[in-house]
Amino acid sequence: MRYHGKILMLGWEYPPHLTGGLGTACHGLVNALKAYVPITLVLPTFSEQFVEERLKIVGLSAQEAGYLERNKPVHTDVKTVVVDAELDFDPYPVGIAFEVQVAEQRVGAAAKPLFNTKEPYGPRILEKVYRFRDMAVEAAQQEDFDIIHAHDWITVPAAIRLKELTGKPLVLHVHSLETDRIGEQHDFSQNAVYELERKGMEAADLVIPVSEYTKKCAIKNYGIDAGKLMPVYNAINPAETFRIEKPGDEKLVVFLGRITYQKGPEFMIESATKLLTKYKKVKFAVAGTGDKLDLLKAMVAQRGLKDRFVFTGFLPTPAVRQLLAQADVYFMPSVSEPFGLSALEAAQFEVPVIVSTQSGVSEVLPNTLQADFWDTDRFANFLFALLNYEGLRRDLVANTNKDLRHLTWDDSARDVLEVYSMVAG
Amino acid sequence: MGTVCLYFQVHQPYRLKDYSFFRIGADHNYGATQQNYAILQRVADLCYLPANELMLKLIDRYEGRFKVTYSVSGTALEQMAQYCPEVLESFRALAATGCVEFLNETQYHSLAYLFSREEFLRQVEAHRQQVQTLLGYRTTSFRNTELIYDNSLPTALAGLGFKAVLAEGVDRYLLNNLTPNHVQRSAEGDMAVLLRNYRLSDDIAFRFTDQSWSAWPLKADTYAGWLKALLTQEGVETANIFLDYETFGEHRKRESGIFDFMEALPKYVLGNGQGFATPTELAATLADTSTTYDVPHPTSWADAERDLGAWTADHMQKDALNRIYALEERVRASKDDNVLEVWGRLQTSDHFYYMSTKYWRDPVHQSFSPYKNPYDAYINYMNVLTDFEMVLG
Repeated sequence: MRYHGKILMLGWEYPPHLTGGLGTACHGLVNALKAYVPITLVLPTFSEQFVEERLKIVGLSAQEAGYLERNKPVHTDVKTVVVDAELDFDPYPVGIAFEVQVAEQRVGAAAKPLFNTKEPYGPRILEKVYRFRDMAVEAAQQEDFDIIHAHDWITVPAAIRLKELTGKPLVLHVHSLETDRIGEQHDFSQNAVYELERKGMEAADLVIPVSEYTKKCAIKNYGIDAGKLMPVYNAINPAETFRIEKPGDEKLVVFLGRITYQKGPEFMIESATKLLTKYKKVKFAVAGTGDKLDLLKAMVAQRGLKDRFVFTGFLPTPAVRQLLAQADVYFMPSVSEPFGLSALEAAQFEVPVIVSTQSGVSEVLPNTLQADFWDTDRFANFLFALLNYEGLRRDLVANTNKDLRHLTWDDSARDVLEVYSMVAG
Repeated sequence: MGTVCLYFQVHQPYRLKDYSFFRIGADHNYGATQQNYAILQRVADLCYLPANELMLKLIDRYEGRFKVTYSVSGTALEQMAQYCPEVLESFRALAATGCVEFLNETQYHSLAYLFSREEFLRQVEAHRQQVQTLLGYRTTSFRNTELIYDNSLPTALAGLGFKAVLAEGVDRYLLNNLTPNHVQRSAEGDMAVLLRNYRLSDDIAFRFTDQSWSAWPLKADTYAGWLKALLTQEGVETANIFLDYETFGEHRKRESGIFDFMEALPKYVLGNGQGFATPTELAATLADTSTTYDVPHPTSWADAERDLGAWTADHMQKDALNRIYALEERVRASKDDNVLEVWGRLQTSDHFYYMSTKYWRDPVHQSFSPYKNPYDAYINYMNVLTDFEMVLG
């Protein structure tokens, strides 16, 4: 029988404040889940336009001292308007000593300026995380719920305290890990984020990684018991897509995402360099920004490839869609990608996808071209083939279209309900 | 008295090496020499040598009453000559017994019949000569690649003196009480058509090791009993058991008892009063009363659909096939035997089979492909083809 209890969900990013996949995934999942179970979603910020049927959102930025009065559930038709926040380059510049400073402060008026910003992370991130803990715990105690469902490390302190206070089971949803973001070769003994992730997964009754790949990372890098890791894939809502025909015969390869270690931008440049020795009628659009952007531009200049690259900087959603509508290849050579929702978006635009095998999305899109992130020879070979051999594009797209039909948020929600049933006993 | 027609297909393609786009324009050698050599050695050890030895023993033991038929593709024959002459030697010994028929096919185990009749006939002739040269055998019957057949195949073969052509017994064309157990007349071209009995063939080829099958483990006396039940029916002429030779020892391991099964089978078949026949012998029984097998659209022995989907369903396959056959005029104009040979090897049907996304997850397809997935197969092939086009100029 399907699970029917009440869910208290602890989120962080949520439309309109999106910097990566977390907010999109949380929104997609919640909107499918609410058809089956009542959900109260506690968020740092709250936007009136995302008030929806059967979903109660408690946005802490709106709170002064006694919060709940202004957030009785409001029933309207579902309406979603996504406004993009500026990307945060490096969302996790966290020092280890931060916890002590903020943990003892009282909840109250100081919360509003802290959360009432378009910037969900930033340098005061740990302060926010512990403020969120105190406020969310207080808010949650006014709520009736059976299961705590928390998303990523930023909600872990709140989730653990709530579990301790209420004894309710905890499900931790893992959208990405510190070992993905900065590389598993680092020393994590002094890393506060890593420590929160580890504590969270250990405290949780069950953990939902967004892929088998992330499950393996949790086992390998965090020592988490395989038996409590229940992967549930992300999905994508059906959407109208379109094509924009480009003038001329120059092809377009798109790289989209934060320009950081995790996304493997150097491997993109390396692959492009190899391709361009043989095939020149192609440009690379690099959309996004991050701490490696300058390095990347320098690499391109040094190799004399400036005329083959376009750096667009951060692009808001409508511009991303414009870009995908012109793309001939979507290229995501991530070093470690827990899922990779943007590849699903590209696939929806019928753009053939090249991804690293170190990605969750490679598990649900088998009809993509896959290689290890460092294997730039293979990537270059894929690029050459996609730009030259029409049959490849057609079969990849036709078969991926079929795969996308099986990747709905409703499917994901039903997988999550099974996890709820398991923790509810 | 009904007879059993045992025919085994022997084929090895020239697999392509890992050919990255970097090589285009610089490297005109496409073969995976090491891999082809290693696979042939492995299959020779597991199958060709022990199975040939067994067949020779059975022919000897039953003094001419046990007969068997082979079709050995040109690319397999050539690799045997190159890499493992003792296999070729044992096939020659089989040919010399007079109890073995060798079929004619296309030199490159190609789909040429579907794309170019001129090239098809060149390959049929090349194979005939090769079988003559390497095995000392003059072919008299024909089987097309993967048993691809339609009404115009006998016509296409007209004038070459073939008595019989082999085909799949496809249910959708076996209407009005037609059965694969009769020698059929072709709808065009007046040739005997021998149809594979897929149930009895797949009992050995596939179900033999299926432990969930009610007849597992299959014993030769049981199977001979089924043959007897069929062959003693009114008017039944033949049980056509057509399979890949690699079933013995490669697809079905020795430990499964497949060799013991084969060794015991003739004893029971002959003991039951049935005999063995080859296609050309069966063709001689074609009578005015024979029924006609009418196949307007091409069929094959592959997959549940028995169609051409395994080689031609995908965009990649169509694209690759169209590109390779579009080179025909340029290849001929080159008047270069080496170029002609390379072009022929690139026509081998296996290359296109590896590109099938429709059957990617099918374990039968997977077991044959040297590639991780159909996309890799296509990319590699197209890189090679791009270079070959440049060589042609």
